[in-house]
Amino acid sequence: MKDSVIRPAGLVASLTYAAIIAWLYVSQPQTVAQVTGGFSSMVGAYTVDSVAFADGLRFFRAGQFPEARAALRRADPADRDAPAQFYIAYSYYREGWGRLYSDDVLFGQGLAAVDKAIALAPGGRLAVDDPELQMHSADELRAELQRGLTREAADFNPLRVFGTRK
Amino acid sequence: MRDALVLPFLFLTVFLLAGARVGASIALVPPSVFSLVLGTMLVATLVRSGALSPDALLHGSRSVVANANGAVVLATLFGSASQVLSMLTPRSGLPLFFVDVFLFVLLLNTLVAQPDRTRLLRSLAVIFGSTLVLKHVLLAGLSDPSGGQTRRVLVALFDAATFGTIAQEPQSAGSGYLAFLSAGLFLAGVATLPRTAVVSSSTHLTRVR
Repeated sequence: MKDSVIRPAGLVASLTYAAIIAWLYVSQPQTVAQVTGGFSSMVGAYTVDSVAFADGLRFFRAGQFPEARAALRRADPADRDAPAQFYIAYSYYREGWGRLYSDDVLFGQGLAAVDKAIALAPGGRLAVDDPELQMHSADELRAELQRGLTREAADFNPLRVFGTRK
Repeated sequence: MRDALVLPFLFLTVFLLAGARVGASIALVPPSVFSLVLGTMLVATLVRSGALSPDALLHGSRSVVANANGAVVLATLFGSASQVLSMLTPRSGLPLFFVDVFLFVLLLNTLVAQPDRTRLLRSLAVIFGSTLVLKHVLLAGLSDPSGGQTRRVLVALFDAATFGTIAQEPQSAGSGYLAFLSAGLFLAGVATLPRTAVVSSSTHLTRVR
């Protein structure tokens, strides 16, 4: 092949490969699905599985939170869809909420998921228009999860038992 | 073909493989700052020994694209050298300190001694091989949690005697293979670099009849 073809092609290929490696270092994907999902979302070709997403919402509304998360993760295997991550975080919140105390492990996982949703949303702003929910934005959900994880004097207020789950 | 495709791909692959820390999950770790210093010294050593000719990669007489290819080779060589040295260094404690000092002194000595290309490549193979054995065979064996009870007791005693500065985090079985592959690919890449033409310092006389 001619030098005039190999050199520019090699340059483009090398820079592309370097960009892919840089992306892998930054995003630290853990599964093949996350790698392929990341690349397809870069070119705007990533879509969630709508059937699995609908299943996830159905389980979520029925209060079957582990099942809802399983379905939502199946719908968004690469963790690239902000609404799916929002519902996953919300399911952790609802499952971990309690009248006397909240489950720190579940709230911590919820916080990680809502942070992912915020990072994926354009401009970091995510609002979900779902009448079933009492918190429609990722910011509200994040603040609620953080409040649950913080130890403060208000935690010992006996009136807390009258609080409601959002 | 060599500096446009083969070498950048080889060195980038080394950068990717050498940065992978295989455990319960895979993490890609960038090289440490000290590894960047060691990487700079290694590249300088390659240039001084004639194993790498910078003129063959970057020169005013070459086209812009050819010079860009050369710059990519140099950048990827530096990155992969730093990453390989980072990979071969133990992660914590006294082994990290001593291996860092060992590599620094060894590379400095090689830089000053200015060996020829063949000797440098042999020396690099020995350095990489010995640090690989130290980290992925000896230290990994000491830190292996699946060892027998007697070994665990001996390691615990040894660790107590050294104030816990020897034991490393347990490594997965794949780490050693990955390190071996990365070091091998890097050495292959270094051997393929464009070298400085050897100029004889002696004069050959030919009898003219």
